[in-house]
Amino acid sequence: MNPFDGVRSDRRRFLELAGLGALAVAGSGLVAGCGDAKTSGGPGTTDKNQLKSILPAYTAAAGLKPDIPSVQGTDGFFSTPVYLSYPASPATTATGVPGKGGSYTAITPLWGAIPASTGNTYYDTVNQALGATLKMQPSDGVNYDKTLPTLFAGNKLPDWLMIPSWNMGNLGFAEAVNKFADLGPYLSGDAVKAYPNLAAIPSTAWQCCIWNGKLFGLPVYYSGATAGGAFYYRKDILDKLGVRADSIKTPDDLEAAGKQLTDAKAGRWAFGDLFDYLGLIYKYPGDPNKWALDASGKLVNRYEMPEFLEALNWMTKQVKNGYVHPDAIAGKTDQGHQRFWSGKEVIQADGTGSWNGGDAQSGKAANPTYERQAFKPLSTDGKPEILMNAAAGMYSFLNGKLSADQIKECLSIANYLASPYGSAEFLTVNFGKQGVDYTMKDGNPQLTEKGSKEVATTFQFLVTPITPVPVQAGYVQVAKDYAAWEGDMVKYAKKPLFYGMNVTEPAQYAKLTQPMTDICKDIRFGRKPVSAYQDALKTWKAQGGDQLRAFYEDIRNKYGTGQ
Amino acid sequence: MTAIPKAPPAVPACPAPSVAGVRKRDERRRRFRRDRALLIMTAPAVLLLVVFNYVPMFGTATAFQSYSIYAGFMHSPWTGLTTFRSLFADPTFWSALQNTLVLSLVQLVLFFPIPIALAMLLNSIMSNKVRTVVQSIVYLPHFFSWVLAITIFQEMLGGAGALNQFLRQHGIATWDIMTNPDTFKFLVTAQVVWKEAGWGIIVFLAALAAIDQNLYEAAAVDGAGRWRRMWHITLPGIRSIVVLMLVLRLGNILTVGFEQLLIQRDAVGRDASEVLDTYAFYYGVVNANFSLGAAASLFKGVLSLILILAANKIAHLVGEDGLYRK
Repeated sequence: MNPFDGVRSDRRRFLELAGLGALAVAGSGLVAGCGDAKTSGGPGTTDKNQLKSILPAYTAAAGLKPDIPSVQGTDGFFSTPVYLSYPASPATTATGVPGKGGSYTAITPLWGAIPASTGNTYYDTVNQALGATLKMQPSDGVNYDKTLPTLFAGNKLPDWLMIPSWNMGNLGFAEAVNKFADLGPYLSGDAVKAYPNLAAIPSTAWQCCIWNGKLFGLPVYYSGATAGGAFYYRKDILDKLGVRADSIKTPDDLEAAGKQLTDAKAGRWAFGDLFDYLGLIYKYPGDPNKWALDASGKLVNRYEMPEFLEALNWMTKQVKNGYVHPDAIAGKTDQGHQRFWSGKEVIQADGTGSWNGGDAQSGKAANPTYERQAFKPLSTDGKPEILMNAAAGMYSFLNGKLSADQIKECLSIANYLASPYGSAEFLTVNFGKQGVDYTMKDGNPQLTEKGSKEVATTFQFLVTPITPVPVQAGYVQVAKDYAAWEGDMVKYAKKPLFYGMNVTEPAQYAKLTQPMTDICKDIRFGRKPVSAYQDALKTWKAQGGDQLRAFYEDIRNKYGTGQ
Repeated sequence: MTAIPKAPPAVPACPAPSVAGVRKRDERRRRFRRDRALLIMTAPAVLLLVVFNYVPMFGTATAFQSYSIYAGFMHSPWTGLTTFRSLFADPTFWSALQNTLVLSLVQLVLFFPIPIALAMLLNSIMSNKVRTVVQSIVYLPHFFSWVLAITIFQEMLGGAGALNQFLRQHGIATWDIMTNPDTFKFLVTAQVVWKEAGWGIIVFLAALAAIDQNLYEAAAVDGAGRWRRMWHITLPGIRSIVVLMLVLRLGNILTVGFEQLLIQRDAVGRDASEVLDTYAFYYGVVNANFSLGAAASLFKGVLSLILILAANKIAHLVGEDGLYRK
């Protein structure tokens, strides 16, 4: 059974949205050919037909039975299955060598140290298996939003490019996407069957890859429940100081714990800067779906929601109380992990990707008792709600200048890269060469010292199979803990407004966000009074916020809310 | 009937070269031959300048366009001065300009004299060994990246840094240095002094070495003390270099440090840290409004040109060489 069945009803609505990108450019109305705007016949049938013509046909992969099965949550969301050991004799899923000797440049973001490109056994091993050369050019993930516009402006696009959804705002993406190849002719409907591993990608993930009524992207790291993040704590430190994590349920509880955990003299502070994640507690939407409905049914941006201001007030208070690490206040977010590992920051908000065996390994190197855990969903009223991100938040694209044969070769390569967990290919793509980059230990692959320098998330950022939670670096308990947390979290999962709709805002509104981000920082770090917020909000509305509301109002009227 | 072509006019189209003209041309050829080696040596530098400084100047055309990264500047529509109008209407631009000017003024007053003083101090050290050691130590920070330099400042002076942890452990009130927007301009200048002052002394040391040692001996014989020798020999000896450096500095004055401010933006907020360069970056690249970024940069370029020409003029008026001999 397709685990994504529960969310299939979304497809119809999604397809209605296929023309949104074009709408953004045109300013109003739909460009003919992109989605059917003629409401006369009722959107249902036509859209369903169009959906059929765009989405690749789903064929489930004959997967392994997980050790901890997926938990079905609310709104069709479900947790990620967990495997505690890798098959002893992994099967080969792809037939033959996928590549035909072609050579392609690929740019992907990387949050971490960039590995050497020459003498890299991992790169060489994967390329040899692919039968083609992918010249990987990882680029700093933190500054990726600044790299992309210059790539487009200089017309220096690589053959294969990964773009995360949160870096699309300043690109005017509905226009940018035309630089890429339309994959519809190769993948839509039954065509995808030529690439069985791509056919096993669930439809909810493919849906996120459609702009202007065309299939452009390949989904990267999608899942059944993509939460914006989690509130982590150092269990070993909480235990030592007698703070019980399961008794912390509200921001007030968190504040009380902050007092107990902070000991500035000893160089220990309770919190990092939690602000960007407080929507998970105060129930306002995060990026990219920043809109919600107020009690009267009017569209409001998160900046206008009282909950947002409450969250800002809470964070400001914690800074004033002295519970936040001074380096976090000085904007040193890049060293956040080190502060957590060394116990200088006890409670931190971060993406769910931070909780894995690699993290346990680094943490234990700093402190042998290190243990990361996450709070169960918190809320102000005892009724948590987690507004989810779209199934896929990152996508890779093929350059529109590639010939049909080259696109086919790249898709064959993609098919190899999307080999499922448990296969021989998965090991190669994720761990490189056995005996050099990794060894099998206690039934799981573990990177060698050479491997940990060479193997970085690079090929995986071009396309992935549905990603299970594997055991990393031998930390079986971490995988179990994560599964338990996620299995609980999905019970509170909820779709935000315009969920998974790939709305492309007109580029002129890109400038609205920065001043709001700046004012929130100024306030919570004590540089400006909370009262300054209302002035900034007024400016936001006047400079385009209200127009943006009208833009979304139009979308809501024509295409629904995606919920 | 065929028209008979008219005879060409008897008077030549261009006048015959005058005697003076011929002499001028000969003179130029002679000088060219004489300086051939020097010209060949400068050619690569000129080429670099043309390729990386002059060719990109055509890009400033985007300031007069509604530039789209997809259309390129060949196909983007021209909008005249519209971009400049919206630039001048933006209060954040004026606050960026104000920050730039204040920062450059503070740096001019507090940073500029330090390498001169340091050079004179080093020059007065007799022991070659001590001088080399001191020189190496003060040079070193120049080779650090800004990320590293600021991390060192944060580790030493930050809220959880060595100084404040010491104060805390001894029950003394902590001192907010790294995240105080009001004193940020002094922090930035202190960082520049720490990182660049050592490197800045090179030129002045060379100027000091060029002073005739006999002058000092003669003055000493005449009974001039240490201060008098400095006032009457050392300072006049390096004056023209100081003025040259000052003029060059004025041309560059609106460049107050891009990386350094970008890295510390979150620590003190936009109001204290936004300068023209970061403004152009945020509004140009980050928000993809390249036209506005180009307009802000062009404005800065024109202002810098005016400053450098004015400073040069003043240098000439007071009888100095400035950038070139008049």
